[in-house]
Amino acid sequence: MLFNSIIYFLFLGSSLLLYYIIPTKFRNYFLLIISGLFYMYVKVEYIFLILFIISINYLIGIKIEKAHDKKWQIFFLYLSVFVNVGILIFFKYWNFLLKNFFDFLGLIHLNNTDNIPLIAEVVLPIGLSYYIFQTIGYMIDIHRGSIKAEKNFAQFSLFTLFFPKLLVGPIERANHFLPQIKRNIHFDKQNITEGAKRIAWGLFKKLVVADRISIYHSTVIASSESQSGSTLLFASVLYTFQVYADFSGYTDIALGTAKMFGFDLMENFKRPLLAKNVSDFWRRWHISLSSWVNDYIFNPIVLKNRDWGIWGVFYGLIISFVVIGIWHGAAWNYVLFGLLQAFAIMYEFITRKTRKRISKKIHPVIYDQASVLLTFLFVTFSLIIFQSGTLSEAINIIKGIFLNHGDLFYDKPSTLLFMLIGCGIMLIVDIQAEFGRFKFSLFSNKNWIVQQVSYALLLIYILLAGVFDGGQFIYFSF
Amino acid sequence: MRLVEKIKEKEIQIFLAKAFVFLAILVILDFLIGSILEYFYFKQESGLLYRTTYSLDSTHADFLVLGSSTANHHYDSKIFEKRLGMSTYNTGREANTIFYNYSIFQSVLKRYKPKIALLDFNVEEFKVSSDNYDRIASLLPYYKSHPEVHSIIQLKSPYEKYKLLSKIYPFNSLLFTIAIGTTDFNKSREQVNDENGYIPLTHVWQKNISIEANTVDYEVDSNKVNILKSFIEECKNAGIQLYIIISPRFIKYFGNDLSVELVRKIANKSDIPFYDYSKDTLFWKHREYFADKVHLNNTGAIIFSNKVIDTILQSKEYRRIRDENNLSIKIK
Repeated sequence: MLFNSIIYFLFLGSSLLLYYIIPTKFRNYFLLIISGLFYMYVKVEYIFLILFIISINYLIGIKIEKAHDKKWQIFFLYLSVFVNVGILIFFKYWNFLLKNFFDFLGLIHLNNTDNIPLIAEVVLPIGLSYYIFQTIGYMIDIHRGSIKAEKNFAQFSLFTLFFPKLLVGPIERANHFLPQIKRNIHFDKQNITEGAKRIAWGLFKKLVVADRISIYHSTVIASSESQSGSTLLFASVLYTFQVYADFSGYTDIALGTAKMFGFDLMENFKRPLLAKNVSDFWRRWHISLSSWVNDYIFNPIVLKNRDWGIWGVFYGLIISFVVIGIWHGAAWNYVLFGLLQAFAIMYEFITRKTRKRISKKIHPVIYDQASVLLTFLFVTFSLIIFQSGTLSEAINIIKGIFLNHGDLFYDKPSTLLFMLIGCGIMLIVDIQAEFGRFKFSLFSNKNWIVQQVSYALLLIYILLAGVFDGGQFIYFSF
Repeated sequence: MRLVEKIKEKEIQIFLAKAFVFLAILVILDFLIGSILEYFYFKQESGLLYRTTYSLDSTHADFLVLGSSTANHHYDSKIFEKRLGMSTYNTGREANTIFYNYSIFQSVLKRYKPKIALLDFNVEEFKVSSDNYDRIASLLPYYKSHPEVHSIIQLKSPYEKYKLLSKIYPFNSLLFTIAIGTTDFNKSREQVNDENGYIPLTHVWQKNISIEANTVDYEVDSNKVNILKSFIEECKNAGIQLYIIISPRFIKYFGNDLSVELVRKIANKSDIPFYDYSKDTLFWKHREYFADKVHLNNTGAIIFSNKVIDTILQSKEYRRIRDENNLSIKIK
């Protein structure tokens, strides 16, 4: 069930109505049932896998907490990580690992077989990477003693199954989400209006910006060999806007939906296109994943290897970003994407004093804007690798940008106008939220009528310029 | 306790009232903006959208060309008029399939019966593709005025009739195209010929011929097959002579295409003349006839149009039409 489909809004409307009609004490059970139905709508069989993951982690979580012996605690933690990562590897990485292993054996002349035991047509259950990471985080938190294991099975199930965040996150933290489940949630008109506004904004990003660019970008990339350098560069720049609009638009719809049911999910984006450096970018981009990796991978590695000094930090960065890269998919281009981020942050770490010196000699506005532009260009460059199916494809696009001569292809004038207007509105809203440059605001205007007309016009513009047959969200493949 | 409940009840009432006002604003804006778009859409006098409206509402041509971009760029209507002595209109529209062609044909049948219909069929046309269903959107502006297109529009999605409650939705993504269409911009472009529908391509393909394998294992869309069968049946019932033609391509295929084989069978079974030029060696030898791998440029289109006419003139079906009808040229 796509978040931008009519069926989703029918589901949301009827669920909300029933949710606030039934007595408060049954509301969590109701949410659990509709979340299960929501997941089964994607594919019925998935429900068995997620129920298995919920059950086993529920039991192991309690075991970790109750184990008096530290060795047993660690044993249960490792057991949980083994089961969760094992499931993830089986569905997402098995074929990739095995193929590369046999390729490696072939390289050192140890393998003569073509019969690699790949799993035929293994389908990655949607959202698996998100809820597996969430569950692992929960287990580590219990082991660290920062949270208590959840004893109520229904509430623990809802922590994993809660439908707004089930498919594409955010990757929630137990200490943020579980206390919310334990409250009595009452109807609050503020939640409904705030949630609806967030959904409207998410739809704008998804339908007007991301899907519109997607039509152009996929056309250009499908024929990248015959496209001019200016076209490839333009498509690559637009792709950065596309991925941002797509993922953050989806997150807005997820957060808006959760809000309508009285829940606050983690913010996942904080205007990443205005980041002044790569470290800053990763504090603003897919925050629930980057902070998860920071808390459960980077910090423990740096702490464990603190004797190594700066090399411990670098080591932690490389491991963390390889995990972030490979989390997106079982392919080498994602690993390279992650490594690029790690090297960029290492470079920033090494040159921080020099950069500070330079910044004192340049006007702060110019320095800040140049920093934003450079960061944007780096992100755009690394996303060329991210989007390419193979490394050679990425190299061809990069080569094409510099070597292919010719005019800019922009399809029809209307395509160009729709894309630029969409990106422009999105950027203006981000700049306003970041710097508060404009005194007059439409969407948060104090005059109720101005605010309502603004949101009505936003919906009208979605009807006018949205792509209603844009297919799936890009992040669904992760 | 009762006071708290009263306050809550009032809050809900205010909330519902505000939601109602918001919906009212939305409906009014949708109606106003949608009406303006509708007015300007049908006020256009040139361009792509105008040609669709003209095909559906105005053409009275004896010879109708139906199909996608290959139809639109390959059949020079003026040559057909001159050599066959029949008024000709090219209804081809880019990226559309039998869904669009059938709708045009249905609307035409409501008004008059052309003598000949030429359907330009594409390699892999029967392949299941969601894009083909998305393209049905080009018929949405005609939903209210043309009940005959309803069944095709319903194929796009089961929710289409609900989406069409919005007055803006049929004109989704057309804002700038309508704006351009209402100016003289389209008319100023040399290649645009709204008079007979044919749009020539001027550039010349620079690459060598492609050699590609036909994918034979794709899933066939039964909707498309059934619609083609209905199209053939309705042509027969109305006494319209149908020709099905596959245009030349600058691609050498090895293997046979599933859709081409299927349409050949259907045509043979229904006794419909079917000509496949996709493997015509004359065109393979001349890169200068092509604008890209699948589209002829104007030079190629002139040669191809004459070739098609030669074939039609030699067919027994055409001789029958010539004998039965007193043909005259009717040009808009």
